Amino acid sequence: MNRAITLFRGVYGVWLREITRATRDRSQMIGGISRPLIWLLVLGVGLNPYFRGEVFGEVKYVIPFTYLQFLFPAVIVLNIMYTSIQFAVSVIWDREFGFLREVLVSPMPRSLILLGKVLGGSTVAMIHGGLVLILARFADVTLGIDQMAMALGLMFALSFGLTCFGVVLASRVRSFEGFGVFSNTVILPLYFTSSSIFPLDPTLSRTQTATAYPEWLVFMVQINPITYAVDALRGTIIGFNQFPPYYGPAVIFAMAAVFFVWALIGFRRQ
Amino acid sequence: MPAAISVENLFASYDGKTVLNDVSFSIPRGASFALLGPNGAGKTTLVSILCTLRLPDRGTARISDFDVVRQPTKARETIGVVFQDSSLDDRLSAWENLEFHGLVHGLAPRLRRQRAEDVLALVELTDWSDEIVRSFSGGMRRRLEIARALMHQPTILFLDEPTVGLDPQTRQRIWSYLERLRREQHLTVLTTTHYIEEVESADQVCIIDHGQIIVQGTPADLKAAHGSRWLHVVPRDEATATEIAARYPQTQRLGTAHALPVSDDAMADAFLATYRTRLEEIRFQEPTLESVFLSLTGRELRDRADGQRDAQRNAGRRGGQR
Repeated sequence: MNRAITLFRGVYGVWLREITRATRDRSQMIGGISRPLIWLLVLGVGLNPYFRGEVFGEVKYVIPFTYLQFLFPAVIVLNIMYTSIQFAVSVIWDREFGFLREVLVSPMPRSLILLGKVLGGSTVAMIHGGLVLILARFADVTLGIDQMAMALGLMFALSFGLTCFGVVLASRVRSFEGFGVFSNTVILPLYFTSSSIFPLDPTLSRTQTATAYPEWLVFMVQINPITYAVDALRGTIIGFNQFPPYYGPAVIFAMAAVFFVWALIGFRRQ
Repeated sequence: MPAAISVENLFASYDGKTVLNDVSFSIPRGASFALLGPNGAGKTTLVSILCTLRLPDRGTARISDFDVVRQPTKARETIGVVFQDSSLDDRLSAWENLEFHGLVHGLAPRLRRQRAEDVLALVELTDWSDEIVRSFSGGMRRRLEIARALMHQPTILFLDEPTVGLDPQTRQRIWSYLERLRREQHLTVLTTTHYIEEVESADQVCIIDHGQIIVQGTPADLKAAHGSRWLHVVPRDEATATEIAARYPQTQRLGTAHALPVSDDAMADAFLATYRTRLEEIRFQEPTLESVFLSLTGRELRDRADGQRDAQRNAGRRGGQR
């Protein structure tokens, strides 16, 4: 029992440090706020009219939602992705500037050090995802308490998995400069191929059926795990799923488990 | 009572290069032990093994009677470490750094507060408690690190080059804290350094070079066994100078002074009997650890150490890539 309390204090300490650091990092906070504004205000509002078509004088939607509503859950995922993967920088920082050794010579087990760190990173990422929810009314999205709770749960699990992914990346990258380039080449392609900004089926009218998406794109969307994360949040927030509803949560929790184990293997080696 | 630290036949290598070659020593509880050697001698590797951060290739090391390989967690509970380069979080305040340390060592809230106050007072940083560490000078950082290493009341303290890059005044201050601590709290202190004057007060000195222990003993023993005494004299006239140089061929000229190695008292007496009236100045220089290192390795410790340090700094400037 005593040992459990001792270990819990350690995890709390590591977690608390991440939160404290995040609240002092203004630039990260500004990114967390400006990103959803740009995506929703510029892209969302700008493309809103093109998301429907007029067929024989009748207005039709690709899906029964406006583009802003369709995009809204994806922007949450985007914000989480940026913050989680950017978290790797904090891991590289600890390693290169020596702070890591301070924790490694403490009696805490490696796995709990990593757990505390990842929990800290995922809390920050979830909060950044939550910032997007403030814009819900603007995007014409209404959320009940139960939907909100479920969305936050999914967001936390997604943040956890992606933060672990960031730690895995960090164990392979040696410099900060390298990581900056790296993160953009990972985040944006994953985001764009996750059916986040366009639905999988473009058919609206008979003419559009002829111009279906090429197979390679559909394939890329289907193998991208972020697709299912976006789908899960979309299902929870606006009630629209492109895949069976259980796919999303299953993929999110599987990512969390797999990446944590993978991150742990890399972390133990240090 | 088991030794605080005992090391037996330790071997370590890095990239196929031997860093530690059959190192053995033992440090009794409450002793201060100085590991002296140039940079690259293997000091930091040895400390890393002792604080369970890396594994030895062969051999055993025990900390407070816990094997560092098989019982690392137990060993870690008894040690405090001050690393060669800062391991503070410079975005947190001094207090937050200590609070973090207390938490990962599992201290209860009240004890945490108490210990943080105590150690801050010890290193005279109480007034800077809420300042962010980034604004601290090198000396303040080092003091805070020492405070942090002591917070969980370890019985063994490792200090890896604790005074590198600090001005002489700060170095003096840090040593006086450490000395006081050792006396008052009965700490075992293992220090690595390449500043010779800093190990004079240690109980035991161990000189290490190329991963091997060359000699070990109290500073007095080492000086007695390996250092030589020198007689510095300033002759009144050039004729005397030439005569001394001719009669004692080992004499070295240091400006106007002449330094003669003193083999024994009889030699010194004979010299003084002959030349006493023809000298302006007579001074005996007792052996120093610097001369011990010189006579054992044939090299000056300081020159080489500083040259290497510059090389390392330049390598660091080229970028953070390894």
